[in-house]
Amino acid sequence: MNTSITRKLSYLLSLFLIVALVSCGKKKEDDDDAGDAKDGAATTVATVDMANGATISGMIKIDGAVPAGKPIAMDADPVCKAAHSAPVMADHWMVGSAGEVANTFVYIKDGLGGATYAAPASTFTINQQGCQYDPHIFGVMVGQKIEIKNSDQTMHNIHAHGEKNEQFNEGQPAGTPVKEKVLDKEEVMIPIKCDVHGWMNCYAGVLKHPFFAVSGKDGKFEIKGVPPGTYTVTAWHETLDGKGMSVDQKITVAAKDSKTVDFSLKGQ
Amino acid sequence: MSTIVLPKEIKGASHDAHGHHELSFWRKYLFSLDHKVIAIQFLFLSSFFLLVGGLLALVVRLQLGWPDHTGWFYKSMASVFSMIFSQKMITGGIILPEFYNSAFTMHATFMIFFAVMPFLMGTFANFLIPLQIGAGDMAFPRLNMASFWLAFIAGLVMLSGFFVPGGAAGGGWTSYPTLSAIPELSGVTWGQNLWLFSLLLSGISSLLGAINYITTVVNMRAPGMSWMRLPLPIWSIFITAVLLLLAVPVLGAALILLMFDRTLGTSFFIPHGLLVAGSPLTGHTGGGQVLLWQHLFWFFGHPEVYIMILPAMGLTSEILSVFSRKPIFGYKAMVLSMSGIAFLGFMVWGHHMFQSGMNPLLGTTFMISTMLIAVPSAIKTFNWLGTLWGGNLKFTTAFFFAVGFVAMFAIGGLSGIFMASTPVDIFIHDTYFIVGHIHYVLFGGSLFAIFGAIYYWFPKMFGRMMSERWGKVHFWLAFLSFNGVFFPMHILGINGMMRRIYDYTGYAHLSHLQPMNAFMSVCAFILGLSVLIFLFNMIWSIFKGPIAPVNPWHATTLEWTIANPIPHGNFAEMPRVFRGPYEYSAPNTPGDADFYPQNVPPPGFGSAERTAH
Repeated sequence: MNTSITRKLSYLLSLFLIVALVSCGKKKEDDDDAGDAKDGAATTVATVDMANGATISGMIKIDGAVPAGKPIAMDADPVCKAAHSAPVMADHWMVGSAGEVANTFVYIKDGLGGATYAAPASTFTINQQGCQYDPHIFGVMVGQKIEIKNSDQTMHNIHAHGEKNEQFNEGQPAGTPVKEKVLDKEEVMIPIKCDVHGWMNCYAGVLKHPFFAVSGKDGKFEIKGVPPGTYTVTAWHETLDGKGMSVDQKITVAAKDSKTVDFSLKGQ
Repeated sequence: MSTIVLPKEIKGASHDAHGHHELSFWRKYLFSLDHKVIAIQFLFLSSFFLLVGGLLALVVRLQLGWPDHTGWFYKSMASVFSMIFSQKMITGGIILPEFYNSAFTMHATFMIFFAVMPFLMGTFANFLIPLQIGAGDMAFPRLNMASFWLAFIAGLVMLSGFFVPGGAAGGGWTSYPTLSAIPELSGVTWGQNLWLFSLLLSGISSLLGAINYITTVVNMRAPGMSWMRLPLPIWSIFITAVLLLLAVPVLGAALILLMFDRTLGTSFFIPHGLLVAGSPLTGHTGGGQVLLWQHLFWFFGHPEVYIMILPAMGLTSEILSVFSRKPIFGYKAMVLSMSGIAFLGFMVWGHHMFQSGMNPLLGTTFMISTMLIAVPSAIKTFNWLGTLWGGNLKFTTAFFFAVGFVAMFAIGGLSGIFMASTPVDIFIHDTYFIVGHIHYVLFGGSLFAIFGAIYYWFPKMFGRMMSERWGKVHFWLAFLSFNGVFFPMHILGINGMMRRIYDYTGYAHLSHLQPMNAFMSVCAFILGLSVLIFLFNMIWSIFKGPIAPVNPWHATTLEWTIANPIPHGNFAEMPRVFRGPYEYSAPNTPGDADFYPQNVPPPGFGSAERTAH
């Protein structure tokens, strides 16, 4: 074959490969840039004033019938089954005798003007024990270190389905050291599931500020150190379809105020 | 026969007495156009990836032997592997499940595309075609060089998968969508893209090679080298090159479509309404067909199996004939049966999909066409046995491996008939029975033949002999441990142990199989040791092996007529071929020799010719 034609063809092929590679990589870069620009709108780093901040507390109650809980069939994994002496109920709805609802994520959705707070130095721990996540509903701050622990003698798989945060899907066999993760974008809520044990799931609320709480078994929650202002406070509760339901309320607080805001979640 | 004009660098003394000149280091050893150098480059490339693939296989076996990560053997080997692999792969002495997925996927990928294929269709195709047909070089030396360097780059791209976030591809070597198409499902992001890109490069490399081999065999045979005088390795490589030419583009198309699905948001393989962990998939319109991939992949994939076994059959035939000191039994039947296997190989791809959903009538068609392949395969096996029968056997290492090939291929072929039967396949599909079968064909078959061929042609490649003593150690260790690893896989499969499973002990019906798995894993490490012995023998012999005579095996084919080291252009004079390649122990052999080289004229040939003129 003619040498010069061969040479030209090889140049063309190389050019094509380079263009193909660059364009393949470009989409991801563009996506990242878009994300940074959005995040870049709020760059102020604020601090929490616990002494002068307001406290927002309240109670979550159910309105209507309590959705019937179902026992989880853990027979598929003898390790999970052996970890419990009594049947474990699916913890989608933990409702007390007076209708108080646990595991509701309450947070300031709007009104902070995009202020960003420094992530705490402490590490948040998610424990997989008895083939359930502990805690089931939780909040962390953007950039806060999360460690995921497997206390069971069986393999779990941590599959986080964030839409804004990068998804991850990693196995954790028994005895594996803790996994460390950081969620770097604000997102409420990120469903996390175990693909090995279909019943295992939990939700993470990731915020740029520390004004969030999860209702306890008594249905109560408390958010401290809130700066004076008018806010939209939102209560989020999971639903069986995984989409979750949320209820918003407006509230205005002054310095050192202590205000109550109760939520009523619709049952069945 | 048309004339092929070779570049100046290639032309030997016979073609251009004044054109031969010293080449620079780069042109001589790296960007060489000489088929022999390219063959050796492929030899080193394949050997390197054989090591990488083998290491990954040991990771898989370590996990399967001791899924609870206990025991001194597990712990000591895991600590060794922790020094090689990163914390994201093995942490706290535990092989992580994602790495396990990558390990078995990349093990198969490296072994198939970067070890067995380039050994056969890179090393031996390049080395043997010009030498055995009596040509100065390949028809397209530059394509030949491009073929090697594309394979080299493809290998690096494939290897780079281990260093990107998300790790290397982990969806199995078959990369079935939707697992391979949607990163959220496997957790693998760039690793899968690199896998696709690398195989595309490797496919182009194979196509360049195939075009070259076909052209060379058709056009550049020496005078007298008729089709029915071609040595069987050349026939097998020629038929395989045709297979490559027809099958690889189909894989290329599938790879590009899957790449589009992953990077451009198309949905060739992604169905409508797909749920990912309970939520509708976003970013894809859907409407594609996962079965489309399976059809495209296996339309390539089944001929691919023959691409990896046919050249091995050719090499084995040569070795068996030489060391039995007998003509190959049924030369024409051998050629026809290889052609038959290649032809039928394109009509059987559906047998990989009995479980994927198929019209039962179509399943029956594929079952029958698959079983038909047993006929030419059996013809070959009986012909090998016929060649051995009554032969004056020479027990060299190459001969041992060739006989090992026949025995192991027979087991792999027989287990293949089990799987060809639709009802049986439904039971054993995706179990360790399949893993056992493929390793009997590809390791006990192809790799044993490759080992044998390296022992056999090493003296001509490097001008030195490999150590026969260490060769025998290699053979016996490999043969015994090979059967220790892979025969029990059939038993595991019948017990229902799934292939690609990370921890089978969670299943009550499989947990009792752990001791058998542990035994297999120990055998796998011995097998790994045997390959190390082989590689050490090879490297050592290149520098320190005894100097090889011109024709150490007393073989008839043309390459053994050239003095070592073989010069550029190969033949000082254009050889002339007078007979077929397997004239051993023939009654009319000249002198004391029991072989009749292809290029030696029959008695009275010169005078007869002079008289005629």
